[in-house]
Amino acid sequence: MKMNTTDPAAHPEQVLYSRCTVDLSNGQQTIEDVPCRNLEDVLGGFGRSFQDLAQRRIESAYCDENPLIVNTGLLTGSTAMTGMRTYFSSYSPIKGSKKGLPAAMWSAGSGKFGAKFKWTGLDELVIENRSPQPVYVVITATDTGPQIELRSAEHLLGLSTHDKIMALSKEYDNAHFAVIGQAGENWENVYMGAVALSTENQLKSGEDKCRFAGRGGMGSIMGYKNVVALVAQCNDKIKPVSAEVKKVNLNVIKGGGAARLQPIRRGGGGGTWAAYDVLQAFHAVPVNNFRPQGNDIPEKLFRENVEKDYFIESQACYRCGITCHNNISEKNADGSRGEFLAKFDYEPLNLLGTNIGIHEAGQAARLIQLSDNYGMDAISLGVTISYALAYNERHGDQPILNGAQFGDYEKIRQLIIQAGEGRLPEIGCGSMRLSQQMGETDYAYHVKGLELAAYQPESNPGYAWAIAGGHMSMGTYGLLTREGKTDVDSWVKGITEDKLHIVGFDMIGLCKFFDINNGIGTQMVVDCLRSEFGFEIDAQSIRAAVRRAFLLGLALELRQGYEKNEFALPAEVHKNPNPHIKLSNITSEQFFAQLEQRVWEIFDPELEELLK
Amino acid sequence: MAIIITVKLVGVFRIDRFKEQSYPLPCGSRAVDVIEALNLSRRLLGIILINGAHASENDQLQSGDCLTLMPLIEGG
Repeated sequence: MKMNTTDPAAHPEQVLYSRCTVDLSNGQQTIEDVPCRNLEDVLGGFGRSFQDLAQRRIESAYCDENPLIVNTGLLTGSTAMTGMRTYFSSYSPIKGSKKGLPAAMWSAGSGKFGAKFKWTGLDELVIENRSPQPVYVVITATDTGPQIELRSAEHLLGLSTHDKIMALSKEYDNAHFAVIGQAGENWENVYMGAVALSTENQLKSGEDKCRFAGRGGMGSIMGYKNVVALVAQCNDKIKPVSAEVKKVNLNVIKGGGAARLQPIRRGGGGGTWAAYDVLQAFHAVPVNNFRPQGNDIPEKLFRENVEKDYFIESQACYRCGITCHNNISEKNADGSRGEFLAKFDYEPLNLLGTNIGIHEAGQAARLIQLSDNYGMDAISLGVTISYALAYNERHGDQPILNGAQFGDYEKIRQLIIQAGEGRLPEIGCGSMRLSQQMGETDYAYHVKGLELAAYQPESNPGYAWAIAGGHMSMGTYGLLTREGKTDVDSWVKGITEDKLHIVGFDMIGLCKFFDINNGIGTQMVVDCLRSEFGFEIDAQSIRAAVRRAFLLGLALELRQGYEKNEFALPAEVHKNPNPHIKLSNITSEQFFAQLEQRVWEIFDPELEELLK
Repeated sequence: MAIIITVKLVGVFRIDRFKEQSYPLPCGSRAVDVIEALNLSRRLLGIILINGAHASENDQLQSGDCLTLMPLIEGG
């Protein structure tokens, strides 16, 4: 980026970002320095891409006019801790209104690809149209700026995400990669294709330790465009960490919410996996398609029980001190580490474990590994499978697909393989479509076409207003569980003021664990921006930009045909309240009706301007 | 005068401590007294329940109460 001002809030046009537009139909490309329209453009991520998507009227995700926008955030590749994010934005094949129009969507991922992409000198890649042959895009840094080339990807077709990355790593030194798996290649029948992003750990160990931009089918869009991979090749450009940023980074590790994610041996809570213990205390761990049973069955996947039989390692992303995730491997007879199985994060562990009746850690790990290798969003995949299993439980005499039941590991494994290979569109196209096809939509656990994360909707009516999938685009998931808020006022404030700010992380290039409770409108971010770029900007201006970006997301949903009644929770939550969940009931029809009215009263006037 | 409550610990708080235990306290004790006596990390402490309802560390305890102390991990 070129920064010709110290005040990007007042003079965004004096900040220019480097954008390459590639037309896949003819190979033409344009690289230009684009002046920012506003602070959202300066921050980047979906704050910029959604403004560009808003300029297009797209009626089908799989059309040539639908671009794939790959970009980074202002702090991607910086010395600020967690600054590793890459964003993929497009109109989504899986998230869409009942009217049949695709929703604008973004997905974020870590790994080192984002930093490498930024270090090539490019801030944004806009991929237009569709290539007649499979290609991959190589972005390299040169003395005159970033250079972009399209190369044949025939040799990569049919490989898993991991194998594609390892194959490319043999061809390209000093590079990182964003790839799709077989799922993305089979985009016609798989709407939940993810983009896998390579990690240093993966390239060094040769083990499949990718990170994923999973949500919304951005890998399927890549597949539709016949772009199998992106390569970012350049030297690392890490600046020395300033005293100011060092202080912030220490605060991220020790002082902020991330402390709870640190490994147990460092006095932390043990990564995202530890959510199991806390939610189980409320009987709010999703079981068998989001129907907790009030028993101790989720405890089988508690860390203390898993580590008896498996080798667990706490791990961090590149140059990050948070150590948010755990890798699970087989344990050798002498207690040493055996074959690597998968990365255990709370969401995939639950949604491809307890929520589909799989309570053995090794089986859950192998299902996660399959999902990762085929390149599917583990959340959408797990929830669509749990819907199918719930259907089969209700229709024992006429089951669908292969008749799999909850806990039937082999049959579930087959469903994942078939879906990943594009042979099972019933699963590959998501729970909304499958439930409509079956005529039983009440227990399909999606909101607006995007499957729920592993937090019971009974604990989070805010899901309805998440613009890119709960829980990471509406931070209300702890409002009841953690804060005990049961009054409408608190929920209205949470949804319309405080908790929407979680999306700011998907603009600026930081992971949410940087400061998950406070968003990016904070002194910590102000200090980083001053130190990294000499920007003088206040937290209030950042918060205002995040709010505008969020509202644009809501406005785009309405423009894409969503009716207000689609901002809703799965009907089963209201119609058949779960008596086992030990939390106050804040999802009665009455409560939700009041919430809807009050939330829209606040949002509507602001949206009117945006919808003109 | 003393009171007896039940203390339940969740997640990492159980390590080298206990899962559930009867706990005698002086009358007038608050949740914070238990937190300090058990040397629980304030950085990790996320949720305090008294008899299943969300509470604060300054809330006073009565004999027969069940105090649940949980860490909180977010996201995934």
